[in-house]
Amino acid sequence: MTAPSRSPLLHSFRRFLRYKRPLALGVLCVPLSSLGDIWITKLVGDALDRLRNAESAEFLAGLFWMLLAIAFGRGVFRYLQRWWIVCVSRYVENGLKQELFDKLTRLSFTFHNQSRSGDLVSRITSDVENVRMFLGPGLMYTLGAVVMIPVSLGYLLVLDAKLALSMAVPLAIMGLGMQLISGRLARHSTAVQESLSEIASRAQENFAGIRVVKGYGREQQQIARFDQASRTTMGHQIELGRARGITHAITWGAKDLTFVPILLVGGWAMIDRTLEAGDLFKFIDLTFKVFWPIIAVGWMAGIYPRARVSAARIDELLATDAEVNEQASPRTIPTVRGELTLRDVSFTYQGADKPAIRELSVRVPAGSVLGIVGPTGAGKSTLVNLLARLFEAQGSIELDGVPIRELSLTQLRGALGYVPQDGFLFSESFRENVGFGSETPLDDPTLARLCEQAMLTEEVARFPDGFDQEIGERGVTLSGGQRQRTCIARALAKDPRILVLDDALSAVDTETESRLVANLKSAGRGRTVILCAHRLSTVRHADRILVLEEGRAVLQGTHDELLAQPGWYRETWARQQAQEELSEL
Amino acid sequence: MKDTRHTPPTPAGQGGKASQLSGPSAPAGTPDPASRPGRKTRDAIDEMVTTKGWDTSLVRRLIGEVRAHAWLFAGSFGVLAVLFLLELAGPWILRGALDGPVQRALAASDAGLPDETAHWRRALFLWAAAYVAVALVSTGFRYLEVAFLNRTGQAAITDIRAKLFAHLQRLDLAYFDRVPTGSLVTRVTSDVENLNEMFTSGLVVLGFDLVKIAGLLGFLFAIHWKLALVVLAMMPLLIGVSMVFRGGARDAHRTVRARLARLNGYLQEVLSGIRVVQVFRREERVRERFAQHLKGYLAANVRTILLFALFFPVLDFVVNVVQGATVWVGGIEIAGKVLSYGVFLQFWLYVNLLLNPVRELGERYNVLQSAFASAERIFAVLDTVPAVREREGPGRVVLSADAPCHVRFERVSFSYKEGVPVLQEVSFEIPPGATVAVVGATGAGKSTIVNLLLRFYDPSAGRITLDGIDLRDYDLASLRRRVGLVLQEDFLFAGTVRENLAMEREWVGEEELELALENSQARDVIAARAGGLDAAVSERGATFSTGERQLIAIARALAGSPGLVILDEATASVDSGVENQIEEAQRNLTREKSSLVIAHRLSTVRRADQILVMHRGECRERGTHEELLAQGGIYARLHRLQFA
Repeated sequence: MTAPSRSPLLHSFRRFLRYKRPLALGVLCVPLSSLGDIWITKLVGDALDRLRNAESAEFLAGLFWMLLAIAFGRGVFRYLQRWWIVCVSRYVENGLKQELFDKLTRLSFTFHNQSRSGDLVSRITSDVENVRMFLGPGLMYTLGAVVMIPVSLGYLLVLDAKLALSMAVPLAIMGLGMQLISGRLARHSTAVQESLSEIASRAQENFAGIRVVKGYGREQQQIARFDQASRTTMGHQIELGRARGITHAITWGAKDLTFVPILLVGGWAMIDRTLEAGDLFKFIDLTFKVFWPIIAVGWMAGIYPRARVSAARIDELLATDAEVNEQASPRTIPTVRGELTLRDVSFTYQGADKPAIRELSVRVPAGSVLGIVGPTGAGKSTLVNLLARLFEAQGSIELDGVPIRELSLTQLRGALGYVPQDGFLFSESFRENVGFGSETPLDDPTLARLCEQAMLTEEVARFPDGFDQEIGERGVTLSGGQRQRTCIARALAKDPRILVLDDALSAVDTETESRLVANLKSAGRGRTVILCAHRLSTVRHADRILVLEEGRAVLQGTHDELLAQPGWYRETWARQQAQEELSEL
Repeated sequence: MKDTRHTPPTPAGQGGKASQLSGPSAPAGTPDPASRPGRKTRDAIDEMVTTKGWDTSLVRRLIGEVRAHAWLFAGSFGVLAVLFLLELAGPWILRGALDGPVQRALAASDAGLPDETAHWRRALFLWAAAYVAVALVSTGFRYLEVAFLNRTGQAAITDIRAKLFAHLQRLDLAYFDRVPTGSLVTRVTSDVENLNEMFTSGLVVLGFDLVKIAGLLGFLFAIHWKLALVVLAMMPLLIGVSMVFRGGARDAHRTVRARLARLNGYLQEVLSGIRVVQVFRREERVRERFAQHLKGYLAANVRTILLFALFFPVLDFVVNVVQGATVWVGGIEIAGKVLSYGVFLQFWLYVNLLLNPVRELGERYNVLQSAFASAERIFAVLDTVPAVREREGPGRVVLSADAPCHVRFERVSFSYKEGVPVLQEVSFEIPPGATVAVVGATGAGKSTIVNLLLRFYDPSAGRITLDGIDLRDYDLASLRRRVGLVLQEDFLFAGTVRENLAMEREWVGEEELELALENSQARDVIAARAGGLDAAVSERGATFSTGERQLIAIARALAGSPGLVILDEATASVDSGVENQIEEAQRNLTREKSSLVIAHRLSTVRRADQILVMHRGECRERGTHEELLAQGGIYARLHRLQFA
């Protein structure tokens, strides 16, 4: 792991220092509450001693109230320490998450295309949590331990140095044992995590491919495989349980053994009258009280490696420099007409051995309609992505004669109305989704007009909440065609000069499709339209059609021109027409 | 993550917390009416936590599920019981040493008897040795407390997981169409793991904690009833504080989880739609939305922090009150020489022992509750009865013939949804060795024929026979074993090419593989890969192109030497490059075998012995290519269009 900073955790800790006051107050409360705890032990111990010689036990009532007062004060400090420190850690968490999120939205599409979204999500979720745990509550526990352990031990040393020192032996054994077991613990815990995700992916695969599994009658074999994965997990879990058992045993065993010197050395000291019964009580009670802080320190040591790696991963993401950069002073065009010119455009995905687009040249006059067709994987979507500068193309792409690389991104993308292939919508209201591209919420008349253009009026009328209908997970589920048309309305809401549809009419029936295409052209007052399509009927009325095969433009022309020559276009057209015919019977 | 005073090391050692704040978990997998337009559903997460505090029938059923491991559970209780006794022994020895040898030695030295003093000094060794022995034995049992309990839980959940998965394998396709894959995965993973918490730190430890509390109270009374009364008087307050705060904590945690799920859901959504966000230049807007979600999440967290910040001090304050009262009452007794220091110490230590389980009570109760919710979801799956079932008892026919199959559809009707017929009285026959092709538009019912023939579903009327016997009378596995299936978007499993071809069918040997590769044209595709047959296939076969996947799928079908071949639009999504290869492979596949070919392209069906033209669930035309052309109906028109 190459961390950008040498101590990433320290780097992360700087974020805590932004909250100096609450942090300082919280940190101040830690020793106060610890000292209160020790004080209580001292008072009780002293009282026990005093009882031996005292004639009356009347002072006990006063002691009781005194104890309560100290306990109350200690409680207040404990409340404050947790409140301040953990709150700060949550604020830091939120700040960090926001910062990471902002970074992610800024990173180029190339970056996103290469990253697995699961991995990015885990940086924002578990990595941030790991760091927070270590630096927030972890800090609190450690501070508590740093105060509690030395002060307690110091106090005990003053009471009886020999006894205090002999108690250190079991504690040292414990520290050593923990050190020895920690590697084993980490190893098994990783193995468990891995085998659990193996189970998940086995199940995932089985459920996704259930048709094949059942079609081949492979259920028994699948069950056997799953059981095998499950048993492997069980094996690792048991191993992990054993390692945890050892840790647990060492910790508690050490604590138990501390009582042996207390009994023996303390007992002798009592016999020698160098130690009072109350002092012995102090030894016992403080042993209990330092026990948890010691465990907390062990726990901190346990999560340290993970927190460190997480902090490094966070830093790494924040330091990623993969933004599509604008030029220092990007150019702007006074009014975009919508003419696109592509000259010798090529593009190869990172890591791919073949280019996705090869030396493609085409001119799209403002106000014209360009159809792009071709078999799956021919490069249609890639081409669209290049136009929006989601990827950086080789060769030149110009908008109204200006290379898009020199153009301000806001203007370029502002001029584009983009309708994605997958019909991606947010789980928000219909109004918010359609108005996604505009600064202010859309008013009803505008929405009505957009629905009319995208041929959604009827469907929206059926929404129980009208324009404010929630869509997706928590609202209505839209059909593929409805999603696509909502995406079209969203693109139209920007009133873009260039409208790009990336095979975005596939789920719309052909009759609606032809009316939609007509709407898109007419409503735009000379808008340029780029139609990628699998179905050729989508593009038949385009001014010009580009046939892509393996990233190359193999044919260009109008529908009639393309039909006139043998090849992919003519064959596909015939096949699709036949299908069409069949379904319209 | 919850911050408990004793959280860091999870004192009892049982793994992580049950309530890992996970991402957006899949909502409960019931076929939900909740997606009806307009109905606002509550936070999915809210529904994941059962509102019932205790569910006896659920617990009874869970215990029934793990009865096979009764001795493990008994062993766990045994370990806890021994450990409890050992925990009691420590303070008892301490008291014995203080009140015995130490007091005697002091008395002896007061009386000026140095020999006797020395004797009692030495006697202390014995007591110390006893303490060492107890400490060592309890160390062993502490190990078992974690390791054995964990093992018990694992044994139990591994069984349940196996049962759950096996049951899922029996469920029909309709179930898988209905329930999202993600939520099924959640059932066999996190829901099952939740049960582990429940069996160990939930049921066993909670059960034993109650025993411990009762037992310790009894001992306290035995030691000193006046002091015990003081403690007993404070118990309701302690337990009350614990339960009240934990109740609040549960609600607060639930809100935190729900808001975190929303936050992560939004994050996921933005990442999957990042293209739209960037093209629309709405980065600022999604940032603001995210900030809003963060704000809600923070507010929920702050409430939790407040609760916990209050909880521990309040609980400890009550504990301090108990201790203070003990000192007060005990002190009077000590001053009156009624109570020895040793007994006081023993009492004090037992009170400490008592307080831990009381403190943990609320937490364990929460674990139990979240596990109940998981158990409910798991049982919901186990209670789902598959619609397609094998005939019970005798009379189930095991299909073993080697010859090509003979299939008959007799007036078969079917609908996925009541009132929406997909097939209406469809009859046809595939004589042994013949090829029947089905053409028709999307939604004409072509794939339904395949689904019925494989018995993914049962017809609503009519019957399908294979070699003269109703499909419903067959042993399902033996039926499907005879079928070679090639799907439109065929599915490859992660593993090797060889594994994908053989599919662990024991009758597919090297010879069959060779032959299949030869006839399927897949040999070149596979030879081009490093490792050949042992080349790795990634998840869903992503490293192969659609065409290559299709060739491998054909080889897979061939390798089983099926008696019936089903090709479901096998060339629909393949580009022209490999199309010819695939058609060639298909010819080899269907040769001398009974086959059913569902086709998009007419060119692939021309050679069929019979072609059915399906339209809106009905068979409108049938005959050979030539006959249909001569008929001048739909088929002829389609053919003209496609080959004009």
